[in-house]
Amino acid sequence: MLVRRSATVNASFGFVGIALFCLIFADLEVTTLDPWTELGRMAWGFATPDFLAVDQLADALLQTVAFAVLGVAAGSVFGFVLAPVFQHFGPVRWVCAFIRAIHELFWALIFIQMFGPSPLAGILAIAIPYTGICAKVYAEILEEADLRALKTLPPGAGRISTFFYAKLPDVWVHLKDYTFYRLECGLRSSAVLGFVGLPTLGFYLESFFKQGHYSEVSALLILFFVLIATIRLWMRPRIAWVYVAASPFAIAAGAGTTTFEWVNVQRFFTEDIVPAPLRNAEILDPGAWLNFGDWTWALLSHQALPGIVATILLTQIALVGTGILALAFFPMISDRFFGRAGRTVGHVFLVIARSTPEYVLAYIFLQLWGPSMLPAIVALSLHNGAIIGHLIGRHVNELERRPDAPKGVNLYAYEVVPRVYGQFLAFLFYRWEVIMRETAILGILGIHTLGFHIDSAIADIRIDRAMLLIVITALLNIAIDICSRNLRRRLRLRSTPDAA
Amino acid sequence: MALFDLRDETVRYDGKAVLKGVSLKIERGEKVALVGRSGAGKSTLLTLLHSQHPEKAALVPHDGGLVKTLSVFHNIYMGRLEANPTWYNLVNLAWPMRREIEAIQPIVADLGLADKLMQPAGELSGGQQQRTAVARALYHDGEVLLGDEPVSAVDEHQARAVLDTIAAAHDTMVLAMHDVDLALAYCGRIVGIQDGRIVFDEPAADLTRQDLAPLYIGEA
Amino acid sequence: MLRKSLLAMALAVIAGSTALADSFVFTAIPDEDETRLKQRFDKVADYLAAKLGVEVRYIPVKSYAAAVTAFRNNQVQLAWFGGLSGVHARRLVKGSEAIAQGYEDQFFTTYFIANAATGIAESKDFPKAIAGRTFTFGSKGSTSGRLMPEFHIRKQFGKSPDDVFSRVGFSGDHSRTLALVQSGAYEVGALNYKVFENEKKAGKVDPAKVRITWTTPAYPDYQWSIRGDVEATFGAGFKAKVRQALLGMKDKMLLDAFPRKSFVAASNGDYAPILDTAKSIGLIDD
Repeated sequence: MLVRRSATVNASFGFVGIALFCLIFADLEVTTLDPWTELGRMAWGFATPDFLAVDQLADALLQTVAFAVLGVAAGSVFGFVLAPVFQHFGPVRWVCAFIRAIHELFWALIFIQMFGPSPLAGILAIAIPYTGICAKVYAEILEEADLRALKTLPPGAGRISTFFYAKLPDVWVHLKDYTFYRLECGLRSSAVLGFVGLPTLGFYLESFFKQGHYSEVSALLILFFVLIATIRLWMRPRIAWVYVAASPFAIAAGAGTTTFEWVNVQRFFTEDIVPAPLRNAEILDPGAWLNFGDWTWALLSHQALPGIVATILLTQIALVGTGILALAFFPMISDRFFGRAGRTVGHVFLVIARSTPEYVLAYIFLQLWGPSMLPAIVALSLHNGAIIGHLIGRHVNELERRPDAPKGVNLYAYEVVPRVYGQFLAFLFYRWEVIMRETAILGILGIHTLGFHIDSAIADIRIDRAMLLIVITALLNIAIDICSRNLRRRLRLRSTPDAA
Repeated sequence: MALFDLRDETVRYDGKAVLKGVSLKIERGEKVALVGRSGAGKSTLLTLLHSQHPEKAALVPHDGGLVKTLSVFHNIYMGRLEANPTWYNLVNLAWPMRREIEAIQPIVADLGLADKLMQPAGELSGGQQQRTAVARALYHDGEVLLGDEPVSAVDEHQARAVLDTIAAAHDTMVLAMHDVDLALAYCGRIVGIQDGRIVFDEPAADLTRQDLAPLYIGEA
Repeated sequence: MLRKSLLAMALAVIAGSTALADSFVFTAIPDEDETRLKQRFDKVADYLAAKLGVEVRYIPVKSYAAAVTAFRNNQVQLAWFGGLSGVHARRLVKGSEAIAQGYEDQFFTTYFIANAATGIAESKDFPKAIAGRTFTFGSKGSTSGRLMPEFHIRKQFGKSPDDVFSRVGFSGDHSRTLALVQSGAYEVGALNYKVFENEKKAGKVDPAKVRITWTTPAYPDYQWSIRGDVEATFGAGFKAKVRQALLGMKDKMLLDAFPRKSFVAASNGDYAPILDTAKSIGLIDD
């Protein structure tokens, strides 16, 4: 007799099916000719990190931490303020969905238009999307609070007192853990924002990488890995405020401070983002509106639509790739499968895979396989697979264990995977929109995702086009978010990823 | 006028009736025990009573309803959140006020929790948690105390001490009780419940242990 | 916690906005060796400060677009732009002008390079055999790595690069274009001739693996552009002083930062061909 398959398994097969269908249209050709010289140079460089060559290294580290701390602190405070009204007030939910649907890099590019390459642009680029993310996740965590204490409260206790006494303490640990997880994400964001000009690790990383100075790249990456891996040693909840208070001084002392002029902000809203055909035109001029129609149509048909198709293809394939790799990776750090030494190796591998910017991974695979979707798929899957693998691995270590459990593959297949599968899918669906956002930064591979076109528009100083494309990208992300939420609800997956 | 007055109440969970046409009047000054097997409908009946006069009742729910990450002190203080302004409550959350500690100390002393005052409730034993829930209800100082098995997790000796304290503080109380002897000892009126219906309602003086036995037939 | 964070934010904003409002600030597009930018350009800043008698600072930027934005936002008053980014910047800032260019920039060229395995040889005429290959530009906003090669590709084939090649990438940087074509990740690419020559000198070009297949006709490229409103801040005649200081830069160590032999005078008119080219391939709207 056939076993009835569970809804989660059916959903998984559905996603694999979609990914296989997408593969038909994806360009996966391997076209490289002689990758080994360059790969050899990379391997040699990575094996011989040169810590001395990178001057201002300490400063870069400091800036990376300072921007992350300030951005995450602001994001979590605003997110915390919004969280209690999140579920009950539609506009808050929509605004949060919108601001978190835009990648930090694009926020940075927008704010650089307004403020120039200044610290404010960097902090806001982290704080704004993180506000949206924190508001949502905090709200979900608060929803899961044990409400039994509420009914014992006297009537008239007041909303705020009730919240702080009966609701918040129950979930405080989850909120704290999640905020720390976000700090790790914030460090990555902060580093990556260096690619567009923040004086963080990414700034130097990109320079050295471009020039092919791989020993210096190696040194920077190792420092970054260590920074991420030791986060729990140097950052404690009790001293978090010290970091928050010190960060502005670190940033002010660093490079890149510039003057701020309000007219630039004004100009951004009144000129830059106004579509070119309407700029300087009479509001009632029908010719201008016809031009605007043509402009919009050209943008939609030549960039937005093909961009959406490429983005979705890449996202769906990378999503399944991420899932497969996460299931393969998580035993590496679980004490159910490996001893101390094995787990250490596993941890190192996962830190490297999840902390190396996708962009660097993509470049390495580009050398191996030439330009196509393949390097992008592998880079995204590896990066995100390592993140989910890490979370699932930690989750597995906390599972109750029975003394007579099987071992090895039997343990994996009969005991562990079935028990964590729901959690695994929840993480994966959470990562769905993240993966979509990350497809943006793979223009080097000649994959024309929406992000590629946004980057092009910014490079051409066509902010109006960039804004329209950014809005479309955000809407696509919101659509994915809604799909993900409905799926999680239908599959009865725990809505909150117990992220840390 | 009766304090509580239920008339022909029916309550369903997931389509299944757990209370079937229950009518019950309770006057001020009465001490009532609800007895019956678990699942008979006692908790539902208590909840119903509580919803009639939430402002007058102090509740000890079956599960205690504690915030496990907060200290015993804060859990007890919660019984009177409404008595103070919000800012005061928040300050007291971060830095417990001497005044509040002093107000709560006698209650925890009566209940044998004096040395646990600043411990997180989640770290206490089941019996200690239950007494914390009772302390919160006492501190609330409502006109009537509604308790759902308030002493089920403490030993007989302590149970009597807790019930003495409750009875001394409240003229009116309604307790869902499993323990027939304690019900007879502390309550003047016994209401027997079976399958969502009231099967008898007598003064305790007219009843003996044997009279109540049929309610529990079939239960180990 | 909340109050502390808000305070900290406010401090950051203030710290970011009050830094040295009245110093003369310049930037340079990140095009040549980007490492140790700060050290190299700080020396240029010192030179300019001595010549101009005002405080001069250099700020690094990460992209052509960021350089243009900083210029437009008056966060820098002087910038070392590429041909295309300079045209962009001067269109956006009324009254700004090109005041000097590198000696070499009067007749700049782009190299089309190919991996040796493609068998495409060097030729005087445009190598049509590159059609159907994989191709990489440099940065999207580069004159030599994007604008001019795209112009010639469109002229020769009458089609967009996407239709000419099997795949089109943007390496983001001239050095990487070279590395990618040399490794065969891309078969053909186009880059700034000067970067190629410098890499060759540094021994990073393997003639057995990568070769030049075509050199574009000459065009004007990099230049110094200055905002029109500097004289309001730094006094009448300041523009001329800056130009004099640039043209008078003779120290090889300073010139190597760009790297140029020397600087010669330039004007906005010199860059009309770049503007027309950009318009003709749709990178700038009419």
